[in-house]
Amino acid sequence: MISFKNVNKWYGDLHVLNKIDLEVAQGEVVVVCGPSGSGKSTLIRCINRLEPIQEGELIVDGMMVHDKKTNMTKVRAEIGFVFQSFNLYPHMTALENTTIAPIKVRNVSKAEAEKLGREMLTRVGLEDRIEHYPTQLSGGQQQRVAIARGLSMKPKIMLFDEPTSALDPEMIHEVLDVMRDLAKEGMTMMAVTHEMGFAREVASRVVFMDEGKIIEMAPPNDFFTNPQTDRGKYFLKSILTH
Amino acid sequence: MWSFYFHELMRSMPFFLKGVWMTIAVAGLSLVFGTIIGFIAGILRAGRNKPARFIVGAWVDLIRGTPFLVQVFIIFFILPGIGIELEAFPAAVIALTNLTASFICEIVAGGIIAVPTGQREAATSAGLSYYQQLRFIVLPQAMRTIMPPLVGQYVLLVKDSSVVSAIGVVDITRVGWLTVQRVPEGLMVFGLVGLLYFAICYPLINLSGFLERRMTVASTRL
Repeated sequence: MISFKNVNKWYGDLHVLNKIDLEVAQGEVVVVCGPSGSGKSTLIRCINRLEPIQEGELIVDGMMVHDKKTNMTKVRAEIGFVFQSFNLYPHMTALENTTIAPIKVRNVSKAEAEKLGREMLTRVGLEDRIEHYPTQLSGGQQQRVAIARGLSMKPKIMLFDEPTSALDPEMIHEVLDVMRDLAKEGMTMMAVTHEMGFAREVASRVVFMDEGKIIEMAPPNDFFTNPQTDRGKYFLKSILTH
Repeated sequence: MWSFYFHELMRSMPFFLKGVWMTIAVAGLSLVFGTIIGFIAGILRAGRNKPARFIVGAWVDLIRGTPFLVQVFIIFFILPGIGIELEAFPAAVIALTNLTASFICEIVAGGIIAVPTGQREAATSAGLSYYQQLRFIVLPQAMRTIMPPLVGQYVLLVKDSSVVSAIGVVDITRVGWLTVQRVPEGLMVFGLVGLLYFAICYPLINLSGFLERRMTVASTRL
């Protein structure tokens, strides 16, 4: 589904992605973690070319994302992206947030798009917030609308960039519940997150990054109980003791 | 004497009203064309095309860096030298449209740039094209930042239009000049001139509030 082959990326002199090799199969749930500045957000932002790569191959759903000639609209239609700061369209209702892309990108009729939007919003538990505007919703609700918005394009892949980092602690579980359900239903997912409970429950693999490199990659239980590298050990110590 | 002049002034009212009509005509046409051109220019100015940004930016700097009176003279007196003959009214509208468009360009560009990049990222991730993003996501949000200075620009437009009296357009100001030759009470005559401009500008200032409520979109309490 997602394939990074010897991918390199620089911001000026900063080597932000360093010889990344990573394969994510369909139905896999991969959690990416690491210290600040490790390149983990950049990694998933490259998948739908929010950020371009300079070297290497990046193939998503059979399409060459690294190739400038690739029509990214087709690729992006198959990927739902959930941001740390939600990025809901404030001038549209929750329903309208979910319908605009299917209508404009997939050319679905308004009636059909609304039916699907309602379904998705119900699926994330917001059937009674359909006509609300983002400013009338709590953070957890906004993020769930964002997930519904991603799902309404019926994507093959869902990407999450620290989806719960900007939420109050009480709201984190409502978002993780939705993500957990998605994972159990077989959605291919990549999430940058520090929610280790979530990773343990549904992730097939944890990818630990530092300074642009993938340092360790292992099933969650293996990584959390028996990290192989010093960096990995240090990282786990610092996040598990507070 | 004062009451005689006042009486004379009142007799000139029809003349003044013709001037009011002329000011509204010049300003009104320039408002419409200037807004359309200004929005297009603003979108280019805030857009992806570097050469376009540069050219529009240079045009804006040129207009904003020179006195409007000089621009009017160039269009009316100098252009005939290279074969473009214009009458006063069209020259006035062209000059004022040009001026208005350049200012609106900066207002619109500023509004577009002020929309958070996260909005574009979300729209890009959803597969929306650049123009779809502009039309459905960015511009609607930019309008909230654009509206107040935009209407402010309209008020300035009405006032700046008085400059075209210099090339013979018979607007409120020119009527004032012509009248003061018969009614040599400057304060009285130009007091009326000022009042007439105020009568046009004041509703525009109030229109700002109405338009802001109607055009900008629901609860953006960001």
